[in-house]
Amino acid sequence: MKLAVELGGLRLKNPLIAASGTFGYGVEYESILDLSLLGGLVSKGLYLEPRDGCAVPRIVETPSGLLNAIGLQGVGIRAFVREVLPRLARHDTAVIVNVCGDTVEEYAEVARIAETPGVAALEINISCPNVKKGGMTFGGDPRMTHEVVAAVRKATRLPVIPKLSPNVADVTLFARVCEEAGADALSCINTLLGLSIDVERRVPRLAFGTGGLSGPAIRPIAVRMAWQAARAVRIPVIGIGGIAGTEDALEFLVAGCRAVQVGTANFVDPGIYARILDGLEAYLRRHKLESIDDVVGTLRYPADVPEGPGT
Amino acid sequence: MAPGAPVNRDVSIVGRQALEGPYVLLTFRHPEVAERARAGQFVMIKANTISEPILRRPFSVMTVAPREGTFTLFVKVVGPGSRGLADLREGETAGCLGPLGRPFPLPPAGHEALLVAGGYGIAPFVLFGEELGRARRRARLFYGGRTVADLQVRAPFAALGIPLACATDDGSFGHHGRVTEAVAAHLDTRPGPVTLYACGPDAMLHAVARLAEERGVPAQVSLDPWMGCGVGTCLGCVVRLRRAGEARPKYHCACTEGPVFDARDVVWA
Repeated sequence: MKLAVELGGLRLKNPLIAASGTFGYGVEYESILDLSLLGGLVSKGLYLEPRDGCAVPRIVETPSGLLNAIGLQGVGIRAFVREVLPRLARHDTAVIVNVCGDTVEEYAEVARIAETPGVAALEINISCPNVKKGGMTFGGDPRMTHEVVAAVRKATRLPVIPKLSPNVADVTLFARVCEEAGADALSCINTLLGLSIDVERRVPRLAFGTGGLSGPAIRPIAVRMAWQAARAVRIPVIGIGGIAGTEDALEFLVAGCRAVQVGTANFVDPGIYARILDGLEAYLRRHKLESIDDVVGTLRYPADVPEGPGT
Repeated sequence: MAPGAPVNRDVSIVGRQALEGPYVLLTFRHPEVAERARAGQFVMIKANTISEPILRRPFSVMTVAPREGTFTLFVKVVGPGSRGLADLREGETAGCLGPLGRPFPLPPAGHEALLVAGGYGIAPFVLFGEELGRARRRARLFYGGRTVADLQVRAPFAALGIPLACATDDGSFGHHGRVTEAVAAHLDTRPGPVTLYACGPDAMLHAVARLAEERGVPAQVSLDPWMGCGVGTCLGCVVRLRRAGEARPKYHCACTEGPVFDARDVVWA
């Protein structure tokens, strides 16, 4: 049975990746779980310099979800390369750096610094909803999306994986723009822009105001967008959004994703990777399939969608 | 896995003791927590029988029984998460990661430990009382609540020989007023070198920090911000600290660098 997958030059021993912002820099979990269980992990978003992030409260729980505005608090790319990467080298898992920037030049500079032994690929953060510059403001504008992706593409030989925002009307447009700009794969999706209100005080529950919604609440939206993106481009798509178990991961694979990222569920149970890996193997056995690739994109979507009675 | 590291496992409930009102003592089997947990540390736990809320919650470890491989939590049943834990039946499990966080440091030799608990904040002081006893440090507990029904955990301290002074907002038991007034009155008696330890509502912690500063005594406070993961990755539980020599405050995770902090470092909201 083959769990390994290949994503635009990035080879993973299995399709499970820890999502950016939900797994720290990986090392936080090294005493709690065996990191070599993971196909890969994506670092917390990294800029050139360290960042403080948003004021508190930064997270509120909503039905089946989590609304956050952390604001990309982080140590910066240089500290990551110097202090964290050597520790991650002990673990047999692909390290993907999440690249951030306030400007196109900063993205490219972070990407140049991140191209160092021990880093397997770069994910481009053009979709964080909780920063005033960069992030979603770039990922919501096709011209800026192209510019950022092309600049990072030019700055590195590593596989480049833009992370798409769901806060757009047509995700396929952005998927195609990224492909044209030289992306090797796509991460799909980041959090959905949300707002939760304390009605007694009549203020947002988050200090930043709005936040990004994650968790099982967004899964059907994420599956739909990943499915649309996967049909729109030839490069592989990594599905993200509310995965909390085997079946959730399989939804994305069947929809056409070559791999998946686990996000919010890391907070709930660090044992999730072992559980999903067991579940994927059981699924392959039960369906008499040889490899994950045999599952990818096997959705039998009705060709001619019947309409209901009376129409 | 490193020794002393937190361990993630499904735990079964092995004991339940209902107290007055919404309070209950719940005992779970988790050999590593039982063996390694120190006072002030916590576990992230959630009943596997419920789906909402989706995240685990932090609870201070109240006592441990290493030989039995169990630990006990003091739980106030206030919502679906705590209800899910309290309602666990035989054969059902909770997901549990621990022990986590920075424990209470022992006071310097010769110092008396003044423990200041506000209501629910009593939990870590049972374990700390035991640790102080083993380390041959003197201790004294100041225990405050709105009303006498909030002062549920008194017997363990009598058993440990720790003098207890209570305070209630409504005067139903002990000093009529704030628990920090009782602490201040004790400090007025010039008791010799002391270290303050506090766990309870933010306003009480802040009052303890102010008192410690006024009287020039060291204080350790256990903060309880909203917490998502317990291991320093969600960055939701950050608190503002300004440590000696630092030009400006910085955010620090309460889960990994706390929840116990030196009161002097905390930038109070």
